[in-house]
Amino acid sequence: MKEYVIDANNMDEKELNRTIKEHAPSYDRLIIDNPESRHNICAGLCEDVEIQINGSAGYFVGTMVNGPRIHINGNAGWFAGDNMTEGELVIEGTAGDGAGQGIYGGTVIVKGNTGSRTGEIMKGGTVIIGGNSGFMTGLLMMGGRLIILGDVTDDVGESIMRGSIYVLGDVKSLGKNALMEMATPEDQKELKETLTEYGFELSDEDYTNFKKIVNIQ
Amino acid sequence: MCGIAGVIYKDKKTHPVGEALTSMLESLQHRGPDSAGYAIYGSLDFPENYYQLNIEVKRKRGALDNLKSLLNQISPIYEEKLIESVGDSDVYKCKIALEEYSLLKPCISEIDDLENVRVINGSHSFEMIKDTGKVKDIAERFDVQSRMGTHGIGHTRFATESGVDRYHAHPYQSYIIPDITVVHNGQITNYWKIRDPLERKGHTFESFNDTECIVHYMADKLDQGYKLEEALDQAVIDLDGPFSILVGTPNGIGIAKDKLGLRPGVMVETDEIFAIASEEMALHDVVDSDQIEQIAPGETRAYTI
Repeated sequence: MKEYVIDANNMDEKELNRTIKEHAPSYDRLIIDNPESRHNICAGLCEDVEIQINGSAGYFVGTMVNGPRIHINGNAGWFAGDNMTEGELVIEGTAGDGAGQGIYGGTVIVKGNTGSRTGEIMKGGTVIIGGNSGFMTGLLMMGGRLIILGDVTDDVGESIMRGSIYVLGDVKSLGKNALMEMATPEDQKELKETLTEYGFELSDEDYTNFKKIVNIQ
Repeated sequence: MCGIAGVIYKDKKTHPVGEALTSMLESLQHRGPDSAGYAIYGSLDFPENYYQLNIEVKRKRGALDNLKSLLNQISPIYEEKLIESVGDSDVYKCKIALEEYSLLKPCISEIDDLENVRVINGSHSFEMIKDTGKVKDIAERFDVQSRMGTHGIGHTRFATESGVDRYHAHPYQSYIIPDITVVHNGQITNYWKIRDPLERKGHTFESFNDTECIVHYMADKLDQGYKLEEALDQAVIDLDGPFSILVGTPNGIGIAKDKLGLRPGVMVETDEIFAIASEEMALHDVVDSDQIEQIAPGETRAYTI
């Protein structure tokens, strides 16, 4: 595997992204050290490349990407994976508001908790939150799957139009146009395939406890 | 956008708060390029009823002499320093004594009546430093790095509704009770609904800036006996619009975030320190921890020593 290490120390956002885009076509993996929560890391990257970020990323990490598999060994700020069309974004820590906002495809995984409006206006793809998710999770959702393994707070699925929100923990309240039912055996099978693929270990009983939130027809 | 930052050390001892806040604000520089400011508490070790005044003085013949002449009628000037700044004016910093705190605001109003001067603030237990320009330049201009303190708040400003000048830089201060300051990222949309009752109670407004409205609101609540946490909780109920408010008092700092969570706020707490900022990158300047907490919509957090 061909690897290239980028030390982001003393680089501004544009210089960092320019360096990533210059090297992405020639290497299998880029390792970014000292990201220091900079914003927009990997914005618009369209290469089939692995990106390993050692530290926290700021706002809009992996925005508008098509193809890369980004792994963050730290936290992320607001709007992680925004408008992704294809690829993978894995955040080992927590994320701020709007994780997975507006994605069309690909997968966004946050192992810890997220802030408000997780998966808002998402149109496709999958967003998985290992911890809890905040206010208005799935706001104006138009497609895709949003899977929360922890609890969600108020107004889940506010004004949801299409797509599904699966919650294993407690749901404090539903938003307008949202309906909650238990996940079907087909849903559970699909959830198990997806979550197992990304290393989440749940018992068979856990899968029977998933709630499914969709729009009122 | 604006950047807010606050830090408090739990051991109640003095620490290099100026250096800590400068690092945090430099990390948040991209959130607000036009002005910046600090309120550093515990940095002035003044006897009772001694106050520090920061006064903007235009570089016009006689302006500083007239100011000093008036000040000498009010109080002896115990310490003074003229700090060269940008634009057409400098900042005159001095130490005076008054018989009681209630005379501070009238003293400021009297000075403001002079031509070519404007009082930035008057304080007893904290030092206010604010100016136009970049954080780095302001920190150098006012030697912020050397300021020790127990806690403080700071701000980088991206002006949206009111002018860009030294006075409108944050923090804002209220004189309803001593030494209450606020920095703010956002807009208060029910501004007049909040301002009207405060004015009817006799509180004076100097501008139409919504942060000034918030600092008087907070000081009024604290004056009524609310604890800092309670005043912040009430602010979430009473104030409309998107906001993250960071409040400084002589013994604490606290944040309130609007009900919809439309402005950012993150925090970190260890055994030694409690820190708040707009973005995670600023927290890493003062704490080596990845245990970053997102402040939820409508949530308030505070720490007092």
